Amino acid sequence: MNPHPADPLDHPDVRNASAVGFVAGYAASVGLMAIALMVTLQHEMSYAGFVIAIAILAGLALLAQALLMFQLNLSGAQRWKTISLLLVVPLFVLSIGLTGWMFHTLYPRTMLDFMQVQGNGM
Amino acid sequence: MLVHLQGAWTPWLGRLTLSQIPYNSPIVLGAFVFALLMAVPIVALFTYYRRWGYLIREWITTLDHKKIGVMYIIIGLVMLLRGFIDGVMIRTQQLLADGPRSAAHLQAVHGYLPPFHFDQIYSSHGTIMIIFAVTVVLTGFQNIIVPLQIGARDMAFPYLNAVSLWLTAAGAALVMISLFVGDFSHAGWVGIIPLTELPYSPGVGVDYWDWALQLSSLGTTLGALNLITTIVMMRAPGMRWFRMPFFTWATLSTQTIGLTAFPVLGVALALLSCDRYLGTHFYTAGLGGNLMLYTDLFWIWGHPEVYFIILPAWGIMSEVIPTFSEKALFGYTVMVAATLSIAGLSWAVWLHHFFTMGAGPGVNLVFSVSTMLVGIPTGVKVFNWSLTLYRGRLRFETPMLWAIGALFLLLVGGLTGMMLAIPAINYTVHNSVFVVAHFHTMFLVSVFGIFAGLMYWFPKVFGFRLDEHSGRRFFTFFSLGTVFVFAAMYILGLMGMTRRLDYLYDPHWQPLLIIQEFGIFLYCVSVFYFCKMIYVSIRDRAKEAHGQDVWQTSRTLEWMTQTPVPFYNFAVIPVVHGRDAWAMRRDSGLTATSPDQYEDIHLPNNTIVPALLGGLAFGFGFGMVWRIWWLAGFSLLGIIGLVILRSFADDKGFTLKAAMVRRMERNHEDTGIMTDHISPPVAELMLFQ
Ligand code: HEM
Ligand SMILES: [Cu+2]
Repeated sequence: MNPHPADPLDHPDVRNASAVGFVAGYAASVGLMAIALMVTLQHEMSYAGFVIAIAILAGLALLAQALLMFQLNLSGAQRWKTISLLLVVPLFVLSIGLTGWMFHTLYPRTMLDFMQVQGNGM
Repeated sequence: MLVHLQGAWTPWLGRLTLSQIPYNSPIVLGAFVFALLMAVPIVALFTYYRRWGYLIREWITTLDHKKIGVMYIIIGLVMLLRGFIDGVMIRTQQLLADGPRSAAHLQAVHGYLPPFHFDQIYSSHGTIMIIFAVTVVLTGFQNIIVPLQIGARDMAFPYLNAVSLWLTAAGAALVMISLFVGDFSHAGWVGIIPLTELPYSPGVGVDYWDWALQLSSLGTTLGALNLITTIVMMRAPGMRWFRMPFFTWATLSTQTIGLTAFPVLGVALALLSCDRYLGTHFYTAGLGGNLMLYTDLFWIWGHPEVYFIILPAWGIMSEVIPTFSEKALFGYTVMVAATLSIAGLSWAVWLHHFFTMGAGPGVNLVFSVSTMLVGIPTGVKVFNWSLTLYRGRLRFETPMLWAIGALFLLLVGGLTGMMLAIPAINYTVHNSVFVVAHFHTMFLVSVFGIFAGLMYWFPKVFGFRLDEHSGRRFFTFFSLGTVFVFAAMYILGLMGMTRRLDYLYDPHWQPLLIIQEFGIFLYCVSVFYFCKMIYVSIRDRAKEAHGQDVWQTSRTLEWMTQTPVPFYNFAVIPVVHGRDAWAMRRDSGLTATSPDQYEDIHLPNNTIVPALLGGLAFGFGFGMVWRIWWLAGFSLLGIIGLVILRSFADDKGFTLKAAMVRRMERNHEDTGIMTDHISPPVAELMLFQ
């Protein structure tokens, strides 16, 4: 049995965190999302360009959180965090991928003006 | 104000006015009187016996996973009763409002409930039953049992555990208060879109539903995190992965679903809130909004949620059936694999809830197949339970009755689910009461599981058995009620009765509606026997008291603790040498658990902070619902401030000295869940000493 550390702040997982990283990660993800909001509000890109821009910004925000806020790396101490992160990948593919596919076939059948944007999507 | 609101708004009270309190509705008034009749005696008893201090010291401030679990279960059972009353009202309205010549009572044109009121009742029925009754009770069981089964002293994060409880309680309180202040949502438990948008639902009903779900889902997510960490990190020495009791595996799968799926609900609701509060257009019908996106997001959470509800019940069945068959669970490893694969698959089937929305045939095909794939591990489980029963020495005590009942219901629910998974069939019965019957059969598997668990573990937690005699009556009437209500409902569905009707146009449905109402009557009788069971058991508790292992054939570690379980769980953390650790010890005669040497036990202090956070969360929710911005704002600031303050509190917990543990264990001092003054002190009270 591992004895209780006298001070919870001495726990290795807590020691791993850094205030600077936390603030930086927070600022970066808020900033990136603010940019995404602006891009959305401006309505200036083409549909495809817009989707790609938003996706890239979301990816960067994810990275900022993983690397800066949670200080993830591949060391053995972070084994469980790495596993959790890996488990997110199939969920991501399933939920975003299948949703994308569903809308791709749904729009042309239900929303006529989308035919021009993405073809008759079968 | 960012969006245009109908009606008055004042800075102090937001949208709240005296006219929002429906004191002129006889039904709401009746509900109020009923609530008073329930509450006044409880308050009076606590005051008369001067137990308020005890309540706060030992329960409200507790971080003990068993007490938190018991409170979860009590909240869940209260909500179950409330949801049941809603159900009775729905059934009665449909019985009375069948056919153009049906009678009219109170303010209704048909039946006794006007449509706007009826819609609120079925919406609150679904929301309450799924989110605040079944989910909450099952969370309670996992809270109590998992740390005991893996040989831990508590959860990994006891403080967070209490925070989860109080967030859930805040959500439940919001639903309850909506009965007396304002309205509840009329858009179903799924939040039918775009009905939930502000132009179509300008009142506060949808907001109540929204914030109640949002708060409780936050609690559930934090709880999931806690249980997963507990299972991964806190297992006793020797408790390897494949020695874990099956219920623990079920919990691990369940909570993995919970941790991944509930954030999706949070996002879906947050976007809806943006539409309703900020005037965005995520789900509106025009202006670039996409209302199908809501349905998609909702069911990405919604289907995993249904497995979140059924997996723990299967876990309970997998503990009860071996105990009362007097042999080990058949095919443990396969069971584990089946459970994990169901958890995985549950993420790939959500579209079967809207086959009819109009996606391409390829999409429907893929989701149809993936849905049917779930049937394979589910079938495997059914066979494994049957083979556990096969050639077992069966004992039909109440927990076993409930477990076997659940097995039958699972067959019916699973097979009708398979029917619904075929798009061609689905097109004909979607949104009929056939679907309603399907998912009620499924949820009733969980409810049967809950009662199995209640009968099974109650003696462990409280030290005395529940009365077997009225327990059997309770089971009988409940099962018969189930048969009458839902067999008739399946038939009505195939006859074309659509769901959520406040007025039924077809008088031919009358006979089946009468059968359903008769079933509801049987349910009411069963509620009486439930109350009787609790009353008789408490009255005769001395007679029904017993030692560690009440059923004599149970198999897992929780039965090794003293009964009732002391607040420190195990005097000495056990070392595990195999699967079914307690059965192994019993078979080799090693049941004497008093060790040669006791050790110091470190436990966290109790604290009032989680309950305060829950109260502030309720204030925040109520403020948002009524758009009382100062209340919402101050509550939110209060929450943030308290969390920061608590993180500076230098609370190292307290240590129970080995000598003390020895004394309590040797003298058989009562250290159980109801005792006063032995468990950890309240941190805040120590400031004054
Ligand atoms: C073998 C497993 C299952 C299959 C194949 C299955 C299949 C389905 C299908 C195809 C639907 C959509 C029907 C429609 O709306 O047209 C459905 C609805 C539903 N099922 Fe299942 N199901 C299964 C298990 C469960 C379980 C375990 C639960 C819950 C404990 C559950 C709860 C529900 C609920 C709540 C709905 C509909 C909710 C609503 O529309 O309000 N199902 N099921
Ligand atoms: Cu589903």
